[in-house]
Amino acid sequence: MDLQWSDEQTHLRDEIAKFARDELNHGLIERDRAGEFNRDGWLKCARMGVHGLPVPTEFGGLGMDALTTVGVLESLGYGCQDNGLVFSINAHMWTLEMPVLGFGTPEQKKKFLPKLVSGEMIGANAMSEPNSGSDAYAMATTAKKRGDVYLLNGSKVFCSNGPIADVYLAFANVDPSLGPNGVTGFLVERNSPGLSLGKHTEKMGLRTSPMSEVFFEDCEVPEANRLGREGAGKMLFADSMSWERGCILASAVGTMRRLLEKSIAYAKEREQFGQPIGKFQMVQAKIVDMKMRLDAARALLYRAAWQKSQRKSVYLEAAMAKMVISESWIECARHAMQIHGGYGYTVEYEIERELRDALGSTLYSGTSEIQRTIIASLMGL
Amino acid sequence: MERQAIVDKVKNYVLAQFLPGEDPNELTPDTPLMTTGILDSLATLKLVTFLEQEFNITVEAHEADAENLNTLDQIADLVSGKL
Repeated sequence: MDLQWSDEQTHLRDEIAKFARDELNHGLIERDRAGEFNRDGWLKCARMGVHGLPVPTEFGGLGMDALTTVGVLESLGYGCQDNGLVFSINAHMWTLEMPVLGFGTPEQKKKFLPKLVSGEMIGANAMSEPNSGSDAYAMATTAKKRGDVYLLNGSKVFCSNGPIADVYLAFANVDPSLGPNGVTGFLVERNSPGLSLGKHTEKMGLRTSPMSEVFFEDCEVPEANRLGREGAGKMLFADSMSWERGCILASAVGTMRRLLEKSIAYAKEREQFGQPIGKFQMVQAKIVDMKMRLDAARALLYRAAWQKSQRKSVYLEAAMAKMVISESWIECARHAMQIHGGYGYTVEYEIERELRDALGSTLYSGTSEIQRTIIASLMGL
Repeated sequence: MERQAIVDKVKNYVLAQFLPGEDPNELTPDTPLMTTGILDSLATLKLVTFLEQEFNITVEAHEADAENLNTLDQIADLVSGKL
């Protein structure tokens, strides 16, 4: 495994971190309070090539391998404090772009990918339902074939990017008697007859990444928008999750680095009992713990991405990376708050938001409990 | 590698991992695995990982469905096509 960044990769990473610091953080406290998506920042990121990092150049992307992609996303997370915007970009990339790239017909790729890469089109994934979360394939949403269209009926919850999306990758069962083998993916466009949005889902963290319910009521989806074969939804989702789990938290590794540096700077500057608090061993221990968690998380991230670059399945490695990064992110944010004391609890210091943003990461893309179940199973248990 | 050798290796793996205690004679080359639920979603991931490591191949995500992995025969076809 070669983890030496080339000059070109280093330049790109530095450029993205600087861009993010300069262009994406203004007005964040207010946007977080209002739960407001930064569409301008979204388009700026797209123009920088972020949305299309792993997408081949023929569709407007940069054609980067998985390792370079996560390295750049790590830099984005390092520079950009708007974790909600970064999450929206990741959801768009891993749960829509990559499934289209992996399972789409040439026509589907040509129709959707250039606009997804340019940021003109926003993607969302519609999988979870009121009664099927971790047991995702127990979904109630159905798709019945009528001539050359499918009629989708059902409701989806926790749809990230739901309120702002132009296209949804929706999962529905074409034959519930087949159980999970009937699950099929559909690219449902925003203006499809029968598609409607529920209320905006207000969240504890990642508030700048909008979320909503999505309803399908005899929603007409052309057969040409079926993604993959009928019944292929199970592997479509598994592949999408593999990408998502392996890469969605790359930015969180950058965020952890930012929290670590901020905590070190504060520990050197803040004095109590006549000396900087960084001289106290209990503060030092927290910072050392943050550093260890950061490096371990980064190593697992890079391993999963490197293996993905070798075109190997990474179900085990992605589950491990996702679980360790998410749990480490939360611990780093908790330590950062503790080191900052009462100031860390205030909105002004922008640590409390980091903690709120981190907390959801052990829930989405499969809970930590599900990741442990997958890891145990793949170890033969 | 001969096709029968692929079938035998995969059969042994499926018996050990997903059908412990089952009479090996009951698992024939055309016994349905996915459509009967022997290979559920997690078991499918395990099988794909096994195939990639054992035969040093890459199984694309879109290939890992009932059209390619439902029986030992189909799995052997998929694997032998990649060797």
